[in-house]
Order: sequence, then structure tokens, then C-alpha cells
Amino acid sequence: MAKHSIIQIKDLKKVYDLGAFKVQALKGLNFDIEEGSYTAIMGPSGSGKSTLLNILGCLDRPSSGAYILGDDDVAHMDDKELSGVRGSRIGFIFQSYNLIQQLNVVENIHVPLFYQGKDISDHYDHCVKLAEKVGLADRLDHRPMQLSGGQQQRVAVARSLVNEPLMLLADEPTGNLDSSTEQEILDILDELHGEGRTLVIVTHDDAVAERAERVIHLKDGLVDQDIRKGAAKAVAK
Amino acid sequence: MQGISFIRIIGVGIKSLRLHKLRTALTMLGMVIGVWAVITLVAIGEGASHDAQEEIKSLGARNVIIRSIKPPSMREQMQGDWESFFRRWMAIYGLKRTDASRIKDTVPGVTRVLPLMTKRMTAIHGPREIGCQLIGTYPYYPEFTQAQLVAGQFLNEAEENSKVSSCVISLELAQRLFAGHNPLMERIVVSGYESSQVFQVKGVLQERASIEKLAQLPDSVGQTIAANVYIPLSSFKALYGEKNVDRSVGHLKLEAVELSEIRVEFDSVDRVMPSLPLLSEALNAGRDERDFEIIVPIRELKALQKQKARDTRLLMYIACISLLVGGIGIMNIMLATVTERTQEIGVRRAMGATRGDITIQFLVETLILCLLGGGIGVVGGWGFAWVRHHLLHTTTIVTEWSVLVAFGLSVMVGLVFGLYPARRAALLDPIDALRHA
Repeated sequence: MAKHSIIQIKDLKKVYDLGAFKVQALKGLNFDIEEGSYTAIMGPSGSGKSTLLNILGCLDRPSSGAYILGDDDVAHMDDKELSGVRGSRIGFIFQSYNLIQQLNVVENIHVPLFYQGKDISDHYDHCVKLAEKVGLADRLDHRPMQLSGGQQQRVAVARSLVNEPLMLLADEPTGNLDSSTEQEILDILDELHGEGRTLVIVTHDDAVAERAERVIHLKDGLVDQDIRKGAAKAVAK
Repeated sequence: MQGISFIRIIGVGIKSLRLHKLRTALTMLGMVIGVWAVITLVAIGEGASHDAQEEIKSLGARNVIIRSIKPPSMREQMQGDWESFFRRWMAIYGLKRTDASRIKDTVPGVTRVLPLMTKRMTAIHGPREIGCQLIGTYPYYPEFTQAQLVAGQFLNEAEENSKVSSCVISLELAQRLFAGHNPLMERIVVSGYESSQVFQVKGVLQERASIEKLAQLPDSVGQTIAANVYIPLSSFKALYGEKNVDRSVGHLKLEAVELSEIRVEFDSVDRVMPSLPLLSEALNAGRDERDFEIIVPIRELKALQKQKARDTRLLMYIACISLLVGGIGIMNIMLATVTERTQEIGVRRAMGATRGDITIQFLVETLILCLLGGGIGVVGGWGFAWVRHHLLHTTTIVTEWSVLVAFGLSVMVGLVFGLYPARRAALLDPIDALRHA
């Protein structure tokens, strides 16, 4: 268990001030995520799952506690620094794909690099390679409108890889897909895990969570269960 | 962190605008019309004022025109004693040759004076009869008025004693009297109330537009007569006497005027205005009634320039308003665009775009709309001006400042009206923006 932790969450709290009253969405979370691990975060609605996702994705800041991503404490960064972290350390995969309509496949894959000031002409081959990796070699100049849902999600996966992130953060990645397409996407994620990438998937779908090595269940803003299947398997042996 | 290349940001903007081509075009239209209007209106105004100034200059900015007019006392109804009755029946008034020589001698800076005697006549050639004005003057008349000799030559004092008197006719008379034939060496009859005289045409002169037309003053005979016959002053005197007597047909009234006009040339433009009091003094000597008027082209020119400055300011206000309206239209569309593209903004934020990146992106899109619209407006205005100037032959001058102002204003409008939607886009919470479907 000497694996290097790329995420350390310590006593993470998030309070929403709604004026009349305050809502405590996260009440003090503690967990680490190791490099190369495959973690699913589950929980019923209202459990703080989305709040945690936003904080993990550096889209939101915790009210208190520490969030160490890589070597940096991102809990206290300002908006501009957080933007930089999102662009360089995190690969997002969304439920509704969230591709940019006016850009083609290669250009969509390039977007995170664009905001790091990296020109598409210098990284075109890299983007094309990623498109090929997700099986879209013959769709390079297609617009999102011209692609199926599964194909769009493949583009999103390729996009999440373009900046060589520390962590892939997926939010219900198969929520909008039919079951066969779901399997394809999950296979791709498995493949990425096999390559040693760190995956965090927020889902309420057991079939998705099944693929992960570790499932963190949230309930009422606290970690309810933290199940490591690898460990369980090891114990079973 | 490296900066994002500005050209790429423009590229992103163009891609976004191309997604909704019709909307982009319609949004730009306000800007196009605004800029087009500024350039076109200013060009038309500039052309008209240029024409007017040229015409006034052609009358000679160094010149002053003094013209005989009937004094008020002679315009009254005939009544009272015999003397005043006679004065009205035989109205003797106006400028005299002595006035011309006195001006030349007493007013400083005067280089030349040009006396003119005129008489209303009828020019006859073959079956055609055209009402005309017979003008007796000196050979340097064309230099004074900047009239252009289009055929033959102008008057020459030495030729006066040949058997047939020669004359020069104005281009308008030539066209009406000869209808396309060459008038040179042809003979015309100039017929008046008391006599008819044969002249040989030796030249055709193109007159510039008259000051009357520009200043919209009635001329000495109440209308502008461009059909002129020019003869030497000495011939005029020999034929019609020292005083020109005009008789109105059907009326028992005579008018006797020695010189209908004196033109005075100064040695420089700056000399004209200071010398006017002395000029008036020279003319008022020996007169108990004012029977002349003084027309000063340089004064008209200055008044015109003042008027032009006012007109230009007015055009600028109109232009600003139309650009403002265009700008509000653009802001409206950009605000709608921000709402429509909320999700895209969220995605871009998630992919690492800072607030500044989003601000710049939307600002650049607005600026592209404005600059493209402004550019099309400039080209359109220029094109319109070119067509009007070269194909419709109406002086239209596109001024650099109008192009700069129009273009500068469209950039400013883009910045001002683009900033609010852009900031609104940037300040969207990325989480809310992502959730927006």
C-alpha cells in the first residue's frame, strides 16, 4: 500500500449560505486517492455527491478543510489559479458530453490546451492520436451535431486526456447512453485504468460502480462506506 | 503561463459567429448602416461645399464685385412734383466710369478694375432668336472671372475698327443659337429696342456659375442670364452711347445706367476685408443715394465655411446616434448569445478558461461584429461615393477623418457595448453554467 496519493482530502466541509439558513452539504470528509486507482463515488441525491464532484473538479472551493491535489493545496486558490489547475491537472468527462458545437472533433479535443496557450498547430498530431485512440480516426472534422451520443462521449474522453491530467473526473459518464454504448465507454475507461491513469467516477449506477476498484458511498455529507474491492479480493484469497 | 495567441482568439470568435450566419449578418447591419451613413453623408456634404467653395473662388477670392442697383427712391410710385416724376420716368443711377478710376486711385491694394456695361438684347442667327445680355468690357475679362475660352479667342481692342465688329459669345448662347454647328466666324445679329447690329463670332467663352446663383441673390436684371455676347467696352460706347438706356416695352419708363458692374481686383486675399471701408468711402463720395451693392466673394466663402462646420457637426450627431442604435442592437444580441451559450461558457471554464479568457472571447466577438460591420460600411460608403462622383458626376468627397471617425466609433461601440455581455459571461458560476442545458 505504498502507492503515492495524488489526492488527500482532510476534514473537508462545505456550507451553503442561503441567507435565511445554512445548508451543510459536506460535513467533514477524509480520504485519499492513490495514483492509478479507479474510484467510484456513489450516494443518493442530497448526499453531497455533486458538491464533492465540484470541489474535486476545482469548480468550487470548500468552506474548510484541505484538498491536496498533487502537491498543491487547491482549497485556497483564487479563481484564476483554479482555472489553471482545471486546465492542466483534471480531465473532465460529463454526462451530457459538453462538446463545443462550433468546433470539430480535433478542435474539441484541443480545447484544454488552448487555455494553456498551446497552439493547435503544434499539438494537432497529438489530438489526432487521441481521436484515433477512442476510435474516431474517420470523424476528425465532424462537428458534434454530426456524431452519435456514444461518439460524442468518446470525443469527450479524448479531450479529457489531452492535457495529461493527474486525474480523470467523470460525472455520470454513461447517464445519457444506451446500455451497449455504455459498455463501450466503460471499456474505454477500463483500458485507461489499465494504462495507469487515475479515475474518479461519480455515479449512482451500480453497473458503472462495479468496474471500479473502490467505491466511496456518501450519505448526508459524510463517508458512509469505503469499499476497496481489491483488498476484499485479496482477503478472499 | 504562456498567453493565448490573439489570432487564435479571433479564430474562435469567427467560428462562433459563423455558427449563426444570418443572425451575425443582421446584427452587423446596424453597424454597416451607421458607418455607411456617416461616410456617405459627410462625403455628400463635403462634395457640395467643395463645389460651392470652388465656384466662389472662381469668382475670385481677391475680387470684389460692385453692381448698380436702382435706389429706393426711384422704385416708388409716380406722384408729386414734376421733378420727382421725371426722376422716376427717366431713372438715371448707378456706377460711373469715374467711380472705377477713383477706386483704382484711392483704395490701397487694388491692382485692376474691370468696368462692365450691359444691355438686354436679342441674338439672332438664322431662324433662332435668343434673349441675351450684351456686355461691353475689357480684354482681361476672362482672367477676372476665370471664365474659360473654349474656342477661338477673346476680344482685342485693336480690332475695333474693322468693317464688321467682332464679338465673343458665351457657351450657353453658342449651344442654343448654333445647335451643334461651329459658331466661329459666323455672323449674328444683336437686336435691341432701338437698333440692330451685326457681329462676327470670334470666340466662345464658358462662364463660371455666377455669385447670384450661389448666394441666391437676384442679379441686376432680376434673373441670371448666361446667354452673353461680349464686345469691347469702346465698341459698346460707340454703338449705344456713354449711358446705356434700357426701355421697358409697353412702359413709359427709361433707365439710364453708365456701368452696370465694376469688378475690383486686390493684390491679395488678406487685403480685401480691410479695404472694404475705403472702397465704400470712395463710392459714397458725391452720392446722396446708395445705388450700388457690394458683393464680396471672400465673405461669402467664409460664411459658407462656417455653415459647413455647423452642417458637419450636425452630421456627426446623426452619425453618433445611428452608431449608438447599432451598438445597442449588438449588445442585445450579445446578451442573448451569452444566455444561449451558457453551457459552452461552463465547458470552457471547466477546461481551464479564466474569467479573463471568457471576457476577451466575448469582447473579441463583439469587436469582430463591429469592425466587420464598420469595414463593410466603409467600403459601401466609399463605393457609393465613387459611383456618385464618377458615374453620376456629382462631386462627392470621402474625407479621411470621416472614415477614421466612423471606424473609431464602431470600435468604441464594440468595446462599450461588448464589455457588459462579456463580463456577464465571465462572471457566470462555472457549476451553474455547466448545469444549464
